[in-house]
Amino acid sequence: MDESALILDAQHGDLQAFNTLVLAYQDVLYNTALRILNDDDQAADATQEAFLSAFRALNSYRGGSFRAWLLRTVTNACYAELRRKKRRPTTPLEPETADGEEVESPSWLADPHATPEESLDQAELEHAVQHCLQNLPEEFRAVVVLADIQGLDYSEVAIAVHKPLGTVKSRLARARLRLRACLQGFRELLPSAFRLEEESNL
Amino acid sequence: MTTPSSRDLEQLSTYLDGQLSQSDRTRLEIRIKSDPALASALEELRQTRAFLRHTPQRRAPHNFTLTPKMAGIRPPVPRLVPVLSWASAAAMLLFIFTLGAGLVGQLSFGEAATMPAPNTFAGNSAAAPATAAPATIAPVVAAPAPMLPATAIVPSGGAANTPTPTEQASIMAVEQATPPAVSQAAQLQSAPKIQQKPANIWLFIWPALAVLLAVLALLVFWLNKRAFQRKNPHS
Repeated sequence: MDESALILDAQHGDLQAFNTLVLAYQDVLYNTALRILNDDDQAADATQEAFLSAFRALNSYRGGSFRAWLLRTVTNACYAELRRKKRRPTTPLEPETADGEEVESPSWLADPHATPEESLDQAELEHAVQHCLQNLPEEFRAVVVLADIQGLDYSEVAIAVHKPLGTVKSRLARARLRLRACLQGFRELLPSAFRLEEESNL
Repeated sequence: MTTPSSRDLEQLSTYLDGQLSQSDRTRLEIRIKSDPALASALEELRQTRAFLRHTPQRRAPHNFTLTPKMAGIRPPVPRLVPVLSWASAAAMLLFIFTLGAGLVGQLSFGEAATMPAPNTFAGNSAAAPATAAPATIAPVVAAPAPMLPATAIVPSGGAANTPTPTEQASIMAVEQATPPAVSQAAQLQSAPKIQQKPANIWLFIWPALAVLLAVLALLVFWLNKRAFQRKNPHS
C-alpha cells in the first residue's frame, strides 16, 4: 500500500482511497479511543467521528506521520466525548452483578484466538490497565496511551496531542509514575514469558 | 540513597525511551550506578512501560469506512452542468424579458393600431385630398372599427366598393368628406394621448419586473450554491 499516493488521492476527494486508509488505521484509532474513554460504544462513536473529521480536514494534512495526524483527530473526538460525558454522566461500562458488584474478569474482553488461560491473563491485564488509566487526568491518559500502548515516539505524540515535546516528556513521566503505583498490585498478571524477558533485561 | 526528585524521574522516563541527549544520558548513567534509588525508580518505570505495552489490542468492532452520504459527496456531475445551471438563470432572464416585451408590444400594438391610422389617414387626406377612396373611407373607418383600420379600409368602404360614377362626383365626395375626416383625425389624435399613459407605465413595469425576477433567480441560485459549498467543502 503506497500510503502517500492514497493520501493524495483522498485529498482529491477519492473516498475509496480514504477508506483504504481507514481499514489500515481503524484498529489503532479504535484502541486509542477505547483506552481513553473506557467504553466500547463511545470509542466506536469517537473513531467514526474521527475518520469523518479526518476526511473533511484532509487538506490540512501537510505531510509527516499520518498515523499521528489521524490519532490527533481521535484524541480530539475523545476529549469532546469526555466533556460531553461530564455534562451528562452515564452508567459505567463494567458489567455489574445483581448486588451492584463490578465483575472482575468480564468474558466480553476475551480474545477468541487465545487459549482459555491466556484469555484470562489478557483479560485481567487489560482490565488492570484500564482500571489504572481511568484514575489519570485525561491529558496524562492520552499521552501514556499514545506512547506506551500505541507505541508512538515523542514527536508523534506531540503531534497527536498538539503539545510541545517538553510537555509530552513531562506528562509521560508523571503518568508512568502514577500508573506505577496502581499497577504494582497487578504485577503477577504479567504473562510469564514477559516476566522472563524483563528479568533478562535487568 | 535519596528519593528521586520529579526532575530526576522525568529524566529517567526520557532516558528509558532513549530520548535524552548524549551528555545528559552519560551524566544520568553515572548517577544511576551510584544511586540505588535512581536505579530502582528506573526499574519501576521500565516495568510500568512493559505492562502498558502488553495491553491487548482489540480489533475494531466493525469497519469505519465512510459512505458517500456520510462524507457528503454527491455523485459526480458532468462539467457542463454548472454552466447549464447558470444558463438556466440567464434563460429565465431572457424569457421573462421577452415575455414582458411581448406583452408590452401587444399593448403598444393595440394602442398603436388606433394611433397611426388616423395620423396617416389625416396625413393622407391632408397631403392628397384628391385621393378619392381613402377620403371617402375616413368617416366609415373611424367610426365603427377603430381597432382594425387596415382591414377596415378594404371592406368597410361602402363608398369604395360602390363604383364612383364620375371623377367629379368623387372629387365632390372628397370635398365633402375631408372636413369630417380631418375632424375625426383630430379626435383620434387626442384619444391616444389619454390612452398613452397606461402604456408608458407598462413599458417600465415589465422590464423592471423581469430584471427583478431574474436577479431573484440568480440570488437564489447563488445562495444554494454557497450553502452546498459550505456543507461540502471538498466537493
